[in-house]
Amino acid sequence: MSKQTQRKSMKYEKKEYKKTRTMEANWYLSSYNYKFNITHMQPFLKKMKQKKLIGNKCSGCNRVFYPPRLVCGECLVKPDRWVDIRETARVATYVIAYLKNEEGEVEERPLVLVQHDGCDTTSIAELAPGVDVKDTYIGLPVRAHWKDEPEGGLEDIEYYDLMEDDAEDLQ
Amino acid sequence: MGRQVAITSAGFSEHASKRSDVSMPELVNEAIEDCLTKVPSVELDDIDAFVNGNMPAFEGSNLPELWMTDWMGARNKPLMRITTGGTTGGSVAIGGYYTVTAELPGIDTVLAVAFEQQSQGDTSVGLASVAYGEISILNSLGISYGQLNRLLSGGAAIGVAAYQATNYMSKSKITEEDLARVVVQNRRNAAKTWWAHLKMPDLTIEDVLDTPYIQYPLRYGMVCPASDGAVAMLFTTEEKAKDMCDIPVYVNGVASVANETAVLGYDGSGSAQVDPSAQIGAMKSAELAYSQAGISFPRKEIDYAEVYAPFPNQELMWDEKLGLFEETTAPEMYETGVTARDGELPVNCSGGVNSTNAIGASAMERPAVAALQIMGKASNQVPKTVHTSIGSGWGGSLNFITLMVMSDEPKRKWK
Ligand SMILES: [Zn+2]
Repeated sequence: MSKQTQRKSMKYEKKEYKKTRTMEANWYLSSYNYKFNITHMQPFLKKMKQKKLIGNKCSGCNRVFYPPRLVCGECLVKPDRWVDIRETARVATYVIAYLKNEEGEVEERPLVLVQHDGCDTTSIAELAPGVDVKDTYIGLPVRAHWKDEPEGGLEDIEYYDLMEDDAEDLQ
Repeated sequence: MGRQVAITSAGFSEHASKRSDVSMPELVNEAIEDCLTKVPSVELDDIDAFVNGNMPAFEGSNLPELWMTDWMGARNKPLMRITTGGTTGGSVAIGGYYTVTAELPGIDTVLAVAFEQQSQGDTSVGLASVAYGEISILNSLGISYGQLNRLLSGGAAIGVAAYQATNYMSKSKITEEDLARVVVQNRRNAAKTWWAHLKMPDLTIEDVLDTPYIQYPLRYGMVCPASDGAVAMLFTTEEKAKDMCDIPVYVNGVASVANETAVLGYDGSGSAQVDPSAQIGAMKSAELAYSQAGISFPRKEIDYAEVYAPFPNQELMWDEKLGLFEETTAPEMYETGVTARDGELPVNCSGGVNSTNAIGASAMERPAVAALQIMGKASNQVPKTVHTSIGSGWGGSLNFITLMVMSDEPKRKWK
């Protein structure tokens, strides 16, 4: 594991440049008032509170967005129908991150985007703690794991559990 | 259609991680000087207008085009800035093309300049400010900052490119060795290019694979550096170009295409780019630019390609998406030496973005090098004669693509 934390730089032909005067200054980017519309999110968040998943469907291209989208970029119309989304999903893409845990040790963790069955989009997700990075692959089937008491927000799905492999005993 | 546009020269500044010896205007001036010395008959008075671009958020100094006017020789002349993120350089080059082709009265010769002095500011703060809107929306919908940080933990562009790498690798069934091979070709090419940043003449695949992961599947040894540097290109009309240089390079097709963002969707919604390596936008831009240039068989008709790829998986992917190779065959081409300097279709002989990345300038360095290869004046010149070449650009959350197609003969007239 130590090899993964070690920052080793590769040799390259460097040229030394002499320094001119440098002035230090700050550019503050700390405060924003970013406006965005979430009216299309309200029914979705209400359903989340009941542990149900819905997405909105564009009548132009029949794509289903989860979480819902205000405007379909392809058709320039507002998706106007609500449809059911399954709790099951597949890992659409993943990477492995090397992050420090509370004890300061570097942990390998898979970071994933999942595509729920019944929708055409990927969403940000976390796999259940303890999932081995070696078990992660594109197309891995997973199932949403709900919080005990959902509050109506994207964090109501705490993480995604691996699904049982029904064919395991046949291998 | 507008009139035919030609490139007569292109110039570079030296690139390094910290150009502490020059200020931003001086850096830009270096590139302009290199550009104009290649066309001795052109004086500053002959340049009618200027296009200028960088990403001001990365350096923390606003409106640079205004206070470096005199350093570019742009006083009392039309001047326009273009800023489009990673594709800034590509957009600036296309802006230069548009300015000439538009036949504006009195504007024939245009100097396009793109630059970045990243050591002046904090690039990660600049990039964070770009994604800040999306991230705060997701946070307001209940996703903790901790999880969002983890999601993009590779930092900046690697955070999204690594997802793309996993997809591409599983699709084309390649190993990390194939990625490292691309890096080795680029860095060795960079060693022969005078202005490049990471010059590693003796790099081997083992050296690259020996470095730790930033985020699987990308290792430290595979990712682009952050450079200071500038590039300049001279655009003019067909008639004037013939007096300026021996082999004018004609711009026969340009395209700038935006597709949907990958990884992060709009305003907290999901992203419909389920496979970030599908790159429908890139294929669309290739289709547009090639049809303008009258190219029907890119693999046969293009002699040289400069592909904007900070990460090796992207170089392989875009080679395919821009029509240079069949799907999933690019890794093989690197193995058999087709893309080498003396190969059948050389790619990125300047070392590419993988070796030198001054963000605002990078996407313009691609068409600049591709043009110089046609003129025969490139730093790491390919031995064969180049008739047609392309230079591409990439930006945004894997969704913007710019492309310029250049040739040594003017556009064929279709009736
Ligand atoms: Zn639609």
